[in-house]
Amino acid sequence: MKNAEFVDRLSLAEMGENRCGTVAQIEGDSRFISRIVSIGLTPGSAFTLLKNDGRSPVLVFCRDTVIAVNHKESSQIFVKVES
Amino acid sequence: MSEIKTIALLGQPNSGKSTLFNNLTGLHQRVGNWPGKTVEQAEGEFVFDGTIYKVIDLPGSYGLSANSEEEVVTRDYIQSGKADLVCILVDASQLERSLYMLADFVGIRLPVMLVLNMMDVAEAAGKKIDVAAIEKRLGVPVLGFSAAETERYPEFFKKMVSAIKTPVCLDSGSLREELVSGGELGEKTDDIISRIEAALGDFEYGVCERIWIAEKLLEKDKLICGIVNESLPFARKNAIDAILDSDEGRDGGILTGEAKYRWVSKIVRESATPKSIEKVFSKWDRIATHHIKGKFFAFGIMVVSLIACMILAFPGMGIGFGMQPVLQSLVERAGNALGVWPVVISFINLVLVGGTCITICMTSFIFAIIFVFRILEEIGYMARFSYAFDNWLSRLGLQGKAIMPLFSGIGCTAGAVCGTRVLDTRGQRLLALVLLWAIPCGSKVAVVLFLASTFFGSAAPLFGIGYVALIFASFYLSSRLFGKKLVPQNERVGMIMELPPYHKPHWKMIAAMVGRSTWGIFKKALKMILMVAALFWALSYAGDGNVENTLLYKIGNAIEPVTMFFGMRWELFVSYLGGMFSKEASLGIMSTLFNHTGEAFSLVTRVAASENLGEALASTISKPEALAFLFASMFNVPCVLAMGTTYREAGSFKWLATIMGYYLALSLGLAFIGYHIGLLIF
Ligand SMILES: Nc1nc2c(ncn2[C@@H]2O[C@H](COP(=O)(O)OP(=O)(O)OP(=O)(O)O)[C@@H](O)[C@H]2O)c(=O)[nH]1
Ligand SMILES: [Mg+2]
Repeated sequence: MKNAEFVDRLSLAEMGENRCGTVAQIEGDSRFISRIVSIGLTPGSAFTLLKNDGRSPVLVFCRDTVIAVNHKESSQIFVKVES
Repeated sequence: MSEIKTIALLGQPNSGKSTLFNNLTGLHQRVGNWPGKTVEQAEGEFVFDGTIYKVIDLPGSYGLSANSEEEVVTRDYIQSGKADLVCILVDASQLERSLYMLADFVGIRLPVMLVLNMMDVAEAAGKKIDVAAIEKRLGVPVLGFSAAETERYPEFFKKMVSAIKTPVCLDSGSLREELVSGGELGEKTDDIISRIEAALGDFEYGVCERIWIAEKLLEKDKLICGIVNESLPFARKNAIDAILDSDEGRDGGILTGEAKYRWVSKIVRESATPKSIEKVFSKWDRIATHHIKGKFFAFGIMVVSLIACMILAFPGMGIGFGMQPVLQSLVERAGNALGVWPVVISFINLVLVGGTCITICMTSFIFAIIFVFRILEEIGYMARFSYAFDNWLSRLGLQGKAIMPLFSGIGCTAGAVCGTRVLDTRGQRLLALVLLWAIPCGSKVAVVLFLASTFFGSAAPLFGIGYVALIFASFYLSSRLFGKKLVPQNERVGMIMELPPYHKPHWKMIAAMVGRSTWGIFKKALKMILMVAALFWALSYAGDGNVENTLLYKIGNAIEPVTMFFGMRWELFVSYLGGMFSKEASLGIMSTLFNHTGEAFSLVTRVAASENLGEALASTISKPEALAFLFASMFNVPCVLAMGTTYREAGSFKWLATIMGYYLALSLGLAFIGYHIGLLIF
């Protein structure tokens, strides 16, 4: 992680499968933030994107857990992708 | 009198609270491997070493923020301060995420004990956890545990007794440091936490420390904001509002969440190794979550399950059906030999023997359904199922999570009605309620399959498939009718959910649960069927052999012109009405009314061999009528219990009446169509 070079900043919805990244920023109302934070996605958390087919909820592996996030809402989560 | 101590079980959804609760108290809360089963708090007791322990099973919640209804229940109980010990359960196989609950609990002044549950699952996933190190770091009792393994309970009791004897609360110092430092967000936070604390002054609320209140204010927690608003003097309130409205304040929820997870990571990363990623996302999961294959996979599993149900139910059905004519002719011969009154023989045969046999048939279906779906639930397939159907459900206005209450509707509609609370908005909950009524509970499936196999023999599986298709069609119709109003486009919230790891089924637990439920249902159904059968037997029994003198017959004949419009003769229509009360009642009514029918609807001419309900039905009812009744039964109102719980969950009589009216219209409409199509075909 330490030497990882961040090349891009984009939303979770646009990220490719099987890549690693960290959450950079989360946008949305306090309800959405509370839901997403309490399930484990916070700024700075490292994750692996397991699945993103462009329509089903994206699947990320973060904090020991496989988390599904609705595709539309995943575009409110901005990430830094490790090269 | 001995002492009473209260232990509250707190933890994220699916951490094993109800499993622990059931094993401690001998009660039977619902368990299964998917988040959000317990929605109401349950209470039980056990005695250990002369002390009475009262245990509270709380609904699972990701943290102590109260976003949805069941989270309010949990939060209210904790804030009430009634617990002598709060036992926080975390899933050791998903340690880092599930410890968030512990982090959110810091700042609540109640004695705690931490249970790292599912150690067996964690170990199988290659995760090593140093329990002693965690205990040392936190300063509260910590136990590595597996709630599903009864051998391990002595360890639990030992830890629990010592935790109660020397109560310790979590120290908020280390979390406060994380909150103040701001971590990744660093200077951006501008030490907002200390500023809020200063503005709060010495304000505290019950068991909640000031730091906890400050966190909840930042998270815009409605309840805490309300309390602070009411209790603080104007100037201080304004000061707090100003802080919360600033740039940093608006991102408060992220700030606190990030700090809490940082606190958790420091504990975990020193004392536990991570899981291996291959074990997390297997090739099965790749198929189960694929947007096309996943759906085929899901349908495949449904079809296989239904076939398994039919096969499993077969022996019981055979016994039930086989017994009936044998027993009845036995009773008849014995009765005649002993010179017993015909009325007694009639009562024994039609009510007692007929009722019991039909109950056995029905229960064998129910047993099969409970067993098969129990296994799917325990393994952890439900969550994958909701993932695979998230897209479809969101088109209806719902989201993937709705699958879980809908799916558990197959067990019992009334129970599943409460389960709709896992959904986030009231509109979605109401819409899910509407859809749920179309999902047949085990009893309804049993009745429909029973009728289909009686009337249409080997074509019965076709009806099974047709039924499934009709249910989907009804979903579409319901969402068309109710969706727009209940869930306006801008209020549609999508799925955010964890996929729990697969669990090996615990056969002992499953067998016990299935055995208990089946037996419970059998007893309840037997009582109901016998009662209803007796009632209708009495109403339709004619001492002089002329049924035309009975009241039921008169009423029946009077309404028949109307009911025939829907293709149902009066006996069927009365069974349909009985079905609204309960599915068992519907069978009970049929069992007496049709055993009576025979040639001249009289007991005297009755042929002993056609005593069996199935044969009696098939010989008196034409195929179009059967079709009408089948359709009517498929979409009939579930039962009284379901009506009661729906009324409670919807919170309005108007909604109950609307849903009932909708299903009455739907079922009678389908019966009408079915009948007339039937007339053309047969
Ligand atoms: N392998 C294993 N499985 C367990 C253990 N404890 C619980 N389970 C299983 O985990 C699943 C979840 O357990 P529950 O007791 O229903 O969880 P809960 O915390 O009550 O969940 P909610 O009511 O949804 O909040 C069930 O399938 C249990 O059989 C354990 O120690 N080991
Ligand atoms: Mg539970």
